[in-house]
Amino acid sequence: MGRGPYEKSGLLRETSIPPLARVHETFEITYPFEDVAKGDKSRRELLNDELIVTVVLWYLPFGEFDGNEVVFFEEEKNLNLKTEWIWR
Amino acid sequence: MKNGLTIAFACIAVCMLAPFSAFGAGGPKPELRPKATTIAELAERYDSSGCVECHEDAHDEWSESLHAVSILGTPRTAPTIITAIEKGLKLFPYSGVKEDSDITVESLMMCMKCHLPQLDEATDDVAREIVATIRSWQQAYRDSDDEKAEALEETIASLNIGCMVCHNKMAIIHKYADGYPQPDTVYGSQEGDHEDEVYPKMAVAPALGESIFCGQCHGQGPNFELDHPSQCATAYGSYLFAYVAHGGNESCQECHMHKSELGHNMASYRDETMIEMALDVSVEGRSLFWRKDKGEGVLPIGVINVEIYNKTGHGIPDG
Repeated sequence: MGRGPYEKSGLLRETSIPPLARVHETFEITYPFEDVAKGDKSRRELLNDELIVTVVLWYLPFGEFDGNEVVFFEEEKNLNLKTEWIWR
Repeated sequence: MKNGLTIAFACIAVCMLAPFSAFGAGGPKPELRPKATTIAELAERYDSSGCVECHEDAHDEWSESLHAVSILGTPRTAPTIITAIEKGLKLFPYSGVKEDSDITVESLMMCMKCHLPQLDEATDDVAREIVATIRSWQQAYRDSDDEKAEALEETIASLNIGCMVCHNKMAIIHKYADGYPQPDTVYGSQEGDHEDEVYPKMAVAPALGESIFCGQCHGQGPNFELDHPSQCATAYGSYLFAYVAHGGNESCQECHMHKSELGHNMASYRDETMIEMALDVSVEGRSLFWRKDKGEGVLPIGVINVEIYNKTGHGIPDG
């Protein structure tokens, strides 16, 4: 329910992180690739074997990016497929 | 031997009674003060500027806090009060409010119980004056009349959770045991004389340093004592039932005032120190070829695993 507290009969959905609790989130990001025709077959080729991923944890006090948003955490992660060069 | 046992039992009995005898320095229920009839009168009654001379640091910290602008907010609180009136009070069939002129102190208490608890010391005219002032402030913004908007914003901000809201009006929770806050006394951690004409006495408020004190507003959810309970802050409920119940033992004040060194600012998400104190976040990443399914085949994917640990004493986010 997105309405104000004056209409609510209680918490209908709790999405906060409980105290002393650990929560996990997993994100899967597909590397850019294309299927290249080789004769009557096709072969997948990586367009880029590196990903720069920025993980940002935002707090949106009013549920939207309205100028009140706060960054709780930010970290950049470099991923690559250089050691996984063979497309199996 | 029998005498020895008697003395031992007597000592234990005295020790057990002692905590229950350590009542606070409240007193009999004082006579109600005459109702404030204007915003200015109510603001003056709870004006914090008289404290600044001796308590400059605490006053400066407080002036940075949201307590100092408790009905203005960031400033999103004041418009939300109007929304509560338009989308709530005026649409509810039994609220008795169809027009702004129907608004009373009681009808605003859904918000003001916490945002301005001293409103119960004012007449219904003050409740209507607050609403009219917020509306005029919004209109001044729409008209780009910055000077008027600023002046009205100052009026709205003159009503707040100032020094004497916490250190007098709300200072004592268990009034049957500890007494009622006295009109000449400022409550804190010391007792004795206080160099002030209005509040010449100091006394100890037993729960002022305990989480329950903050729980009066940063509470347990619906305010069931109201005719129309609103679902509001749950921080103290979360603290009791999910933090203390799982072994947590720090108080609100320990983190928000002392460890953070924020003192009377006691900020939360707006402060870098509090953010660092609140969460541990770790990020791991790897890449692999993933055989997804027959249709899409083998895909090259990066996997990011994020772990967030809430180190605080309440759910995040909460209020």
